[in-house]
Amino acid sequence: MHAFTLYMTHLGIYLTGPFGQSQQLYEVRNEAKRGRGTEEVVRQQIEKDTETVIKAQQEAGLDFIIDPLFGQYDLFQPLVEGVPGINAGRQENWFNNNLFYQKPRIQIENLQYTSGWSEKFLHPESLPKDGSWSAILPSPYTLLILSEISGYQNKKSAIQDLAKLIKAEAIHLASLGAGRIQYDEPVIVVKQSLGSLKREDLELLETAIDICGRVPDTTTVLHTYFGDAAPLLPFLKNLPVDCLGIDGTETNLEPLLQEDFSEKELVFGRINARSTDPEDPEELVTELKKVAEQCHPKKLWLTPNTATEVDGYTHAFKKMKILQETKRLFNGTNN
Amino acid sequence: MVQIINPPSAKKTVRHLFPTYEVGSLPKLPARVKTIKGEKVSAEELQQIKNLAKKYAVESAEVEEIIGRTEREKRKVSSEEKKQLQDFNALLNIRIQEKSGIDFVYDGEARRSEMYRHVAQQVVGFEDLPEMIRSRGPDSYKKSICITEPQLKSGALDTLIREEFAFVNQQAQHQVKVPLDDPYMIAVMSDNRYYAQQAKEKYIDQQQIRYEAKREFTLALAKNIIRPQVEAAVALGAYWIQLDIPAATLDIGHIPIVVEGINAVVEGIPAENAWFSLHFCYPRRNSLTEKSGYELLFPHVLKLNHRVKHFSLELANADTYEQDLAVFAEYKKERQFGIGLGVIDITLERQKEETYETPQQVRERILRAADVLKDRTLIYVAPDCGMRQLTLERCIRLYELMAEGAELARKG
Repeated sequence: MHAFTLYMTHLGIYLTGPFGQSQQLYEVRNEAKRGRGTEEVVRQQIEKDTETVIKAQQEAGLDFIIDPLFGQYDLFQPLVEGVPGINAGRQENWFNNNLFYQKPRIQIENLQYTSGWSEKFLHPESLPKDGSWSAILPSPYTLLILSEISGYQNKKSAIQDLAKLIKAEAIHLASLGAGRIQYDEPVIVVKQSLGSLKREDLELLETAIDICGRVPDTTTVLHTYFGDAAPLLPFLKNLPVDCLGIDGTETNLEPLLQEDFSEKELVFGRINARSTDPEDPEELVTELKKVAEQCHPKKLWLTPNTATEVDGYTHAFKKMKILQETKRLFNGTNN
Repeated sequence: MVQIINPPSAKKTVRHLFPTYEVGSLPKLPARVKTIKGEKVSAEELQQIKNLAKKYAVESAEVEEIIGRTEREKRKVSSEEKKQLQDFNALLNIRIQEKSGIDFVYDGEARRSEMYRHVAQQVVGFEDLPEMIRSRGPDSYKKSICITEPQLKSGALDTLIREEFAFVNQQAQHQVKVPLDDPYMIAVMSDNRYYAQQAKEKYIDQQQIRYEAKREFTLALAKNIIRPQVEAAVALGAYWIQLDIPAATLDIGHIPIVVEGINAVVEGIPAENAWFSLHFCYPRRNSLTEKSGYELLFPHVLKLNHRVKHFSLELANADTYEQDLAVFAEYKKERQFGIGLGVIDITLERQKEETYETPQQVRERILRAADVLKDRTLIYVAPDCGMRQLTLERCIRLYELMAEGAELARKG
């Protein structure tokens, strides 16, 4: 009990996806789109906003720092633009959001396990080198299910190659200084919420994470969102990643509290990135204390459930403030 | 005999198979946009107006004068000048459609900023987010937060529909179809803070909170924002009303809300006064469930009010007509919907490739659909969606190809 209390004296916080764009970035993008401005001006604005947001995360005491990914339009764009054999297909809705992604089209068998393809969207020179940079990659299972695949005979062989490809990139990012690799995995919990999850899905995810779940010199997170993770927790907790992220705006608290997390770090995505409604830090602290006391996570993190981009720059900052205040209250009360 | 009933009017009656219609938006004339913004109009942009005006027999002298005058005087347009520019653009769009062989026309939404913003800015209870929100590649939109029950601003109906419809109805020689937003689309494009806060007080389950909050919001929009527009249009003589629902299959578990929202808009409008169609696009072809695409709408849409008789569908983009339409054939005995067949791919990718459908391809698509639906009289011919993102020259060519393809299909 004493050891547990010591463990739980700290709540960590960080962001988990692209940050809302500034009005200035919108304006230069719009000018470029209409042929009245240049891509170079857009690039300069992205650099400027990136610096601002990285600095703001550091000043707010976030424990991991993300690149705000202002130049990346969807989770798969780096793969689509940088990996031979993968190109862009139809535009589709990003789950139930008014946000779109281009469906990756994988048309060759035996993908090369190239790396460095996400680098052009990142700013490693501005990100911390002390292990507190958290980099975001698609989970191979989500990539598989949301892609159009014509080059592979079956999903199992495809996912093995995709997992190796993703792992190669994770190792590359670690070599650039990333201390945490977050694999974005919405599909598994969305399928669970829709009632369409099958044993094969779990096996595919397991196969992938067996390959890419451990990355030297980093901690890894399987970050789920947009669906209810509760019924899957016994399965997800056994996957070989250091940390499990759940969407606290989709997953009810009560079933979560039944789960023991003493072998895993828990990322509680309780800040609703898809709503401007501000959470009350005191209410969050009450919930987080329950999670800490009943789930016994190895480490406990509070984050937004997903990217803060859907409500823009100002509200992304407001959500970051709520993270900061909740951390202060939680750690203060526990100390 | 085609399924549609021609409304009682002096406009050109449609009697042939495979009638054609436009879906909604067209790009605005650059010269008009720049003049309204107080920016310099290039010689090419001015020439475009002259050329189009001549080709489609629309008087442009006044508009040219406004462009020249405001530029010389280095000032923004007056409200009267702005209206004249909009009238010109609207009339030109109507004539372009009519001359291209489109049977049911509108004004290309020439007075609307874009479909969401056009309505959102007329709503009391909506507050703008400070920045434009990125949505599709670099494209962004002005998103609103709902902070209290939505109501129309005073005089909003004049801006939203009365002036626009009255102009189209007066000018159009062909039959008119009026596009309006559906309430669900506005709900999912907004930040639903007000109803989410209320739902959190009533429910504990997260999924239920989301569902009930969206349902209440959609119904309030239906009752307070969309239905008054329908009533205003019908009172002025609108007969065919198209409700646009690009987001219908966005949240698969929430499709019953889409249906409830539409019914709340439509219920009680006298059947002899109006006829409703729904425009769907972005069907979830990869839905993560066993059903996909338009299958997801069933069986929910069987509960639509019977005044809803027709669906306009995005189909050309995927070109899987047999698969996409099979569900309509399957449920035909329970309920038969007319189908506005998307035969023209309106994506930017096709524009970048500079490729077009051929009339033969359009014909083939129509006949493939007829094979699946087993009833030619159900089929109308349309583009996949509104075309505001394309160049006007491309839109015109696409309308012409569509009309030529429909004519070929009529011949068999």
